[in-house]
Amino acid sequence: MGALEEKPEPGGALERGNEPKTLKIMAEICFKCGVCCVIRDHSCHAQLDAQFNPRQTYVYDCLGSGDPAGNQNIWLCVSCHKCEELCPYEVSPIHVIESLKAQSFEEGRAHPMIVGEIKQIVSTGYAFPLTGASSRQREKLGLAALTQGSEEDLKRISEKTGLVAKLQRYEEAEK
Amino acid sequence: MRFSLFLGCFIPVRLPHIEKVARSVLGEIGVELQDMDGFTCCPEPVGFHINDKLTATAIAARNIALAEERGDDIITLCNGCTYVLKQVNEELKGDPDLKDEINEVLAETDHEYRGTIEVKHFAQVLNEDIGLDRLAKKVERPLSGLRVAGHTGCHILSPPDVMKFDDPFDPVVLDNLVAALGAEPADFSMKTICCGWTLTNYGDRQSANQLVGAKLQAMEAAGSDCISVICPQCFYQFDTGQMMAARSLKLDLKLPVLFYLQLLGLSMGHSLDDIHYGQHRVKSPVFEEKLGRILA
Repeated sequence: MGALEEKPEPGGALERGNEPKTLKIMAEICFKCGVCCVIRDHSCHAQLDAQFNPRQTYVYDCLGSGDPAGNQNIWLCVSCHKCEELCPYEVSPIHVIESLKAQSFEEGRAHPMIVGEIKQIVSTGYAFPLTGASSRQREKLGLAALTQGSEEDLKRISEKTGLVAKLQRYEEAEK
Repeated sequence: MRFSLFLGCFIPVRLPHIEKVARSVLGEIGVELQDMDGFTCCPEPVGFHINDKLTATAIAARNIALAEERGDDIITLCNGCTYVLKQVNEELKGDPDLKDEINEVLAETDHEYRGTIEVKHFAQVLNEDIGLDRLAKKVERPLSGLRVAGHTGCHILSPPDVMKFDDPFDPVVLDNLVAALGAEPADFSMKTICCGWTLTNYGDRQSANQLVGAKLQAMEAAGSDCISVICPQCFYQFDTGQMMAARSLKLDLKLPVLFYLQLLGLSMGHSLDDIHYGQHRVKSPVFEEKLGRILA
């Protein structure tokens, strides 16, 4: 759990309840009962990936990795909350995994699709590119053309929160 | 009953025919939809909200603030938008320090989050504000005998104390909405497991194929004629994703998916053409023939 301990101290109000110490304790409470992953009808969908089995579940993989934030499998979590709701204790793997994702993003190691999507949203206001095909389809259906116009607000928000600086670090690393 | 319509990104960009149906069907049952200038992506929960929570919270708060300026509650058409906007709304309403922190960011945009409105998914509006009895009265052609596999999706169910929609392990709301149209909800295994759409984006497409393939086989085994969903990503996964999974896994899958508002439209007298079924990737002559008999 080294990387969990190394997480920067919490800054603003958003970090309350997600402090590294709390998350580390949550991860250590897990006694590997497997309930979060092995109940086929109700549990974690990522468990269906061929690399996991009842003895080495998806959640153990994420919680027990030597370099958790560098474990690419964290990106398989879709935040469905099933692990949290099924856990007989209070491990809340979802919160540990989400914290690892945020840490990975902060450190410049996030999945390229994540970085691309965030850039797309803050530069256009949409998570998906507005294509000629979708414009034509909208026109055919008699729907108004999609507009932009909030990009300046998104830019100001992202500058103020420090996101612009983080994205610049990704761009520099690509060069 | 008036709402600010939060379209999100996925429906207007990728599935505009669902927007068309939503506008017409919700209007016909008395839900007045106000279009808003300036709404942006909610922002997307798994790609953005988790990874940069401060920025995502500020963007969501700005969207809510825009609706507050108009004064109407927000109605959404997507589980993901609902998940982010509701969580942020509840978090900010319950935490004055966080609200101040976010408003300090929003000051850059001349908007202020006040915490004066609610965010509701359209299925919540149908279930709670319209009510099943009034909804059933809108039905002109009951869908009697049509077996519908209702897939509620993950992000409107959890966390249940925030989403306040349905039981995450035994969801009944969508089935009740289906039954209100005279159709028969199908009971199938793996009902509450994720559709796998997000896996196709950030994970392993082959795992996503296996997941959607297993779910579809469970739906077929339960005798379903079609699927119904209330989230555009789930729609996409059961439509385009089904086509890809069938090809990859060499399965003979052909179970059409209908957004719930399309199903509602059919029961209110709309035709398959009216609900733009022709735009779907997965179409089934067996389903079309059975529906034709039911609606005749």
